[in-house]
Amino acid sequence: MRKMIVIAVREYSAAVKTKAFIISLLAVPIISGGMIGVQFFLKDKVDTKERRFAVLDYSGTIYDAVEEALRQRNATDIFEGEGEARKQTKPRFSVVRIDPATVDAERATYELSERVRDDDFMAFVIIGADVLSPGEDGQGGGVVRYHSNSPTYEDIQQWLRTPIGDRVRQLRLAAADLDPKIVEAATRRVPVQNLGLVALDEEGRITKAEKTNRIANRLVPFALMMLMVMVIMVGAQPLMLSVLEEKTQRIAEVLLGSVPPFQLMLGKLVGMVGVSLTLTTVYLVAAYIGIHQAGFGEFFPTSLVWWFVLFQALAVLMFGSLFAAVGAAVSDQKEAQNLLMPVMVLIMLPMAVWINVVNEPNSTMALTLSLFPPATPMLMMIRQAVPPGIPVWQPLLGAGLMLLTTVVFVFAAGRVFRLGILMQGKGASFGTLLRWVWRG
Amino acid sequence: MHTVEIEHVSKTFGTHVAVNDLCLSVPQGSTYGFIGPNGSGKTTTLRMIMRIYHPDAGSGAIRVLGETGASAANDRVGYLPEERGLYKKMKVRDVLRFYAELKGRRDHKQAVAAWLERFELSAWANKKVETLSKGMAQKVQFISAVIAEPDLVILDEPFTGLDPVNADVLREAVLEQRRRGATVIFSTHDMAVAEKMCDYVFMIYKGKKVLDGTLDSIKDQYKQDIIRVQVDGNGFDPHALPGVEQVNDFGRMQELRVGSKADTQEVLKALMGQGRVRHFEITRPSLHDIFIRIARPSAEATPDA
Repeated sequence: MRKMIVIAVREYSAAVKTKAFIISLLAVPIISGGMIGVQFFLKDKVDTKERRFAVLDYSGTIYDAVEEALRQRNATDIFEGEGEARKQTKPRFSVVRIDPATVDAERATYELSERVRDDDFMAFVIIGADVLSPGEDGQGGGVVRYHSNSPTYEDIQQWLRTPIGDRVRQLRLAAADLDPKIVEAATRRVPVQNLGLVALDEEGRITKAEKTNRIANRLVPFALMMLMVMVIMVGAQPLMLSVLEEKTQRIAEVLLGSVPPFQLMLGKLVGMVGVSLTLTTVYLVAAYIGIHQAGFGEFFPTSLVWWFVLFQALAVLMFGSLFAAVGAAVSDQKEAQNLLMPVMVLIMLPMAVWINVVNEPNSTMALTLSLFPPATPMLMMIRQAVPPGIPVWQPLLGAGLMLLTTVVFVFAAGRVFRLGILMQGKGASFGTLLRWVWRG
Repeated sequence: MHTVEIEHVSKTFGTHVAVNDLCLSVPQGSTYGFIGPNGSGKTTTLRMIMRIYHPDAGSGAIRVLGETGASAANDRVGYLPEERGLYKKMKVRDVLRFYAELKGRRDHKQAVAAWLERFELSAWANKKVETLSKGMAQKVQFISAVIAEPDLVILDEPFTGLDPVNADVLREAVLEQRRRGATVIFSTHDMAVAEKMCDYVFMIYKGKKVLDGTLDSIKDQYKQDIIRVQVDGNGFDPHALPGVEQVNDFGRMQELRVGSKADTQEVLKALMGQGRVRHFEITRPSLHDIFIRIARPSAEATPDA
């Protein structure tokens, strides 16, 4: 036992001193912090240069409405803040009226295109004379054509929809002799609110249902899954490399003169659990502080932290034992990558199905997948993180199955480890590994 | 009382018989030298004593310090492997403390410092192992083998790669282990070292034991005395001397190889009758001579051995 701890302590201190660990410790906070910082910085740096476009209105009925909407937009919509903090955050739009009488209908599109190329304005809109015609059975009807040389800049096109659409609707209603107010009221859509369930509070009153947050409901499970995968990878890779080093540098011969191979492997696994818990602690604390600072404290999955730690410790032991066995069975990193392929597939599997699990966390498929032990730490976590959660027997059963699997994996890996760690020369094939596991 | 007892042990790798029906007893407190050409089975034997390798099923047992366990883990045995076994990225002091703790020794602080001082490695204590020269790494490896004061010290080629000064330092350290009461087993290619240091010499050749015993007993066994003579006089005819089997004539000096039953006194008497004896020297074969005599003829015949 004492020797196992000596091994674990060395393993831990060797792993946390590697560059890879420090990089992975800092990478996520730096990258996410950096992205937030860049966005914050760019927020004030939006391009507020005036955008000009031209309108050629053959119908003669739409242009005035566009110009009026534009005036309003330039007066209010492009500013944010009040008083002294008020500043322009969006570009002004300006419009050039093209009189249909001044252009040759045949060549109008070409000539306007040329003016866009000459930077006279950045886009032009052609409103046909038949814009008010609704067509028949949804076919035909008036079309408004928007031409520009910058297809990814959609702000003008999207903005135009409202004033043109409103004006066309108004004119059509008037032509049909209908009151726009009545029509608007009659055709207004009914909103469907997304709410959680209600419960009784201490005084027996029915609580107010909480509005659910679509983004948070997906982001939290996703973040938990990614953290789990990352923690496994960050812990397992150095574990495999250190086993490989001990094997190729013949350190194993000296170590095995002091500790039995199974204890040696267990010690290394315990060290790896320590490494991954360190990483988790740093990340969860950082996330807790970050989320609270940002004012979204309610979304931090506090109640899941202990489940996360439990699943993670089991996952690290389960996958770590496979990584240790692979490290002992091969003779260089290249061979290791080949043997690790199936293990990696197991670890990555949840990423392929997570969205289905989030959308229907209580489906039979989601339950079955989350009880498949290699996927349990990620998928059970996801199902628990989606409100309202799942019955507690499910994560308990998942943890129990994982524990069994972990014991089997550690036992099998122990056999491979014992035989492989002293074997020199070419690495063992998959078949050889199975034989080692079987015969011991 | 024997520290190591090997009884009819064989070890086969695939079809290659690395060790064939080996018997060996290492007395407690002795220094035992393992010699033999490359690939003859020295390291395999040492690893079997370490229990890193296990003898073939059905072959005999190996008793180490009175036990016949299967586990290599034994705090009373210290081991220096043939190839380096140190973590490259660890500091010298840390790696030694780690090995000491692994052997169950907790009060290692002083001992580590003392050993580093003794091997003039104190300045390297906080350097990483990968920065050490080969000789320095070898000394660190030796310290790790003896830091826990084991009863049995197994050293696989401890003097390889050391300059003469460091070889002397290490030799003194090995002898000190024996004075401390430990049994020391080491393998070496250097016959002079084996001859000077070992109480017992064991030679393995092609997996079989060919020599085993004290140096004196081995030399007695291979006693085939060589007499170097210088004789003035015209009547000198070495071939006519009693018991002489072979003559190497160097001109001014002749080397006479006499049969093991021949009486050297008779040879001298006969020589004195042939002329004036200026030089008469009875030499015994060195370990080197014996090694060469055993290993040479067939070592050339089977390069893969």
